[in-house]
Amino acid sequence: MSAAPDGRADALLTSFERAGYARVAPAILQPAEPFLDLSGEDIRRRMYLTTDPQGRELCLRPDLTIPVSRDYLASPAAGAPQAFCYLGPVFRHRAEGAGEFLQAGIESFGRPDKAAADAEMLALGLEATAHYGLAAPDIHMGDVALFSALIAALDLAPAWKRRLIKDFNHKTSLVQDLDRLAISASHARPEYQGVLAALAGSDPKAAHALVTDLLSIAGITAVGGRSVGEIADRFLEQSALGAQTSLPRETRALIEKFLAIGGDPDEAAADLRAFAREAKIALDATLDLFESRTGFLAARGVDVGRIRFSTAFGRGLDYYTGFVFELYDPSAQAVGQLVAGGRYDGLLTRLGSASAISAVGFAVWIERLAQLRGTP
Amino acid sequence: MTTPLVIAVPAKGRLQQNAEAFFARTGLELVKPRGVRDYRGAITDLPGVEVAYLSAAEIVDLLAQGVVHFGVTGEDLVREKIADADQHVILIDGLGFGHANVVVAVPQAWIDVHSMADLDDVATAFRLKHERKMRLATKYVNLTRNFFSAHGITDYRIVESTGATEGAPAAGTAELIVDITTTGTTLAANGLRVIEDGVILRSQANLVAARAANWGAPEREMARIVLDRIASQTRARAFREVRTRFAGCDAALLAEAKDRFGIETPFGGPTSSGMLTLHCPPKHVHALATRLREKGAENVVVADLGYVFSRANPLYAKLEAGLA
Repeated sequence: MSAAPDGRADALLTSFERAGYARVAPAILQPAEPFLDLSGEDIRRRMYLTTDPQGRELCLRPDLTIPVSRDYLASPAAGAPQAFCYLGPVFRHRAEGAGEFLQAGIESFGRPDKAAADAEMLALGLEATAHYGLAAPDIHMGDVALFSALIAALDLAPAWKRRLIKDFNHKTSLVQDLDRLAISASHARPEYQGVLAALAGSDPKAAHALVTDLLSIAGITAVGGRSVGEIADRFLEQSALGAQTSLPRETRALIEKFLAIGGDPDEAAADLRAFAREAKIALDATLDLFESRTGFLAARGVDVGRIRFSTAFGRGLDYYTGFVFELYDPSAQAVGQLVAGGRYDGLLTRLGSASAISAVGFAVWIERLAQLRGTP
Repeated sequence: MTTPLVIAVPAKGRLQQNAEAFFARTGLELVKPRGVRDYRGAITDLPGVEVAYLSAAEIVDLLAQGVVHFGVTGEDLVREKIADADQHVILIDGLGFGHANVVVAVPQAWIDVHSMADLDDVATAFRLKHERKMRLATKYVNLTRNFFSAHGITDYRIVESTGATEGAPAAGTAELIVDITTTGTTLAANGLRVIEDGVILRSQANLVAARAANWGAPEREMARIVLDRIASQTRARAFREVRTRFAGCDAALLAEAKDRFGIETPFGGPTSSGMLTLHCPPKHVHALATRLREKGAENVVVADLGYVFSRANPLYAKLEAGLA
């Protein structure tokens, strides 16, 4: 069996258990919905999908973060701090390699001491590579919360803020967005401009009435998901955007300057403090957490100077909300990340939790670790 | 028995009729020697060719696997069902029937949505407001995903639909759809509108070659004959023959006609007696005839072309290049 755990993987799990993480084994067959909803349709092509007799879409789990989170939410301990580890097969169509492969990992829920929890994840991730003989992997680190805080602090229309946050995970779109913001929204359609001009400065109630009239004149009976109110709200937003058709050159330069900041975490924090001071943007709370995390990392014996931090680094999944990291083999014998994870404080709410529950974790690619040189 | 060249043709409906008519026009008469209910056929004067009657979807699968050499099927199905289609098949030529567009359509009430960029914005706003993603009904899961991904749209969910996709928004099972349309009438009847830059694919029936099929020398030779006939007819259909004879015809006039009307001169310039044969695209025939008479032609004779056989065989060249 290709995906059978070897002795070292079991030993790794034992070390996670000793560190206080309870071993769990969620079902392999999972409802497909949460994965598609949270990871996006792009994951569909890589999932093994099937349908049950009632027509519900099921899948072989493509990762374990969502299954572990769902089981935790369904348990009586939901909401309380809990820590889990796992080792088992996951299933993804891949161009190379078998569709079934082993992942180990950790999920930590409900811990209020976020900086310490973040640091613990990276420290345990480093233990995992060390366990396979790689004591000093390349460490890539980011912090999605910094970008969110920057955008929140900028004087930008809500529509653009929404887009920039969404596109942060798709770097090519982000560049396009910055271009578009800088050039202006002058491609907007003329007939559209009339409506937008008519709406300029009106209140939501008047906008609602206008859209209702427009639809009724056109003989359209509203069908399909969005209410008249939503359409009116968007017109209002666009109308407000009309006054701000282009991003001031300085604002774009500011975003680009921010995204260029990187280095080891201490350097980066100093640069970000200077950046925030100069731009008069409040990043203090996020940077305090950032520096506190770096402190916890150093306290855990992580060589902080070896971490490559970048403000532009994200993990391509929009459920990450803060700290993110990936570990790589510097000799590139094993291709792709060996360990990867981060903070996803929004995930449990999106899986149905009524209250916000903090969450952080990582996954370990066992077969990639097993390829490392010098291991039996 | 030597293995024949297998051509898969749709077994049912308009696509079958159109395909048979197409082959008949090219001088390839499809016959079912063992009766009309047989799903294996032949071509009258080409014993090395076998015709397999299959469903359009099966044809795509067999092309991907290389079980058949050629197939007639819609480009929409090829691009939907075969990942990295161009790695597995060669689209030899559009056949001029089975036209349909795969489009993104939204409720007409969404008067604020004109472009995919609008849709992107609305999708994200929808997720934030409703705490779920917008649902899109389609049977074109892969085409949709690639198109939306290219537009950077991530806040949507696909709901697979196998029939009556246009009804999904009205039924409340999806907010928008991706579906095939020819005239847009069905979409309009269901209160839907196509997004301006939301045409994912302009599809038509294609002659498709399978890269993975067995392409030995005998198969290639048969393919060359079949494609020669198709090419000769395709070329003939794209032009009318225009004949005239007058003294004032010179190289300058021919150059002008090439430029303005897109004519071809299959036999070169006028003969010593002033006889001239031109091939002209049908839409320019009248303008060309007028111009020739202005320059002194007494009579201009226009006729349909049956076949135009050329030394060059662009369709076979495309197959060879694709298989190389």
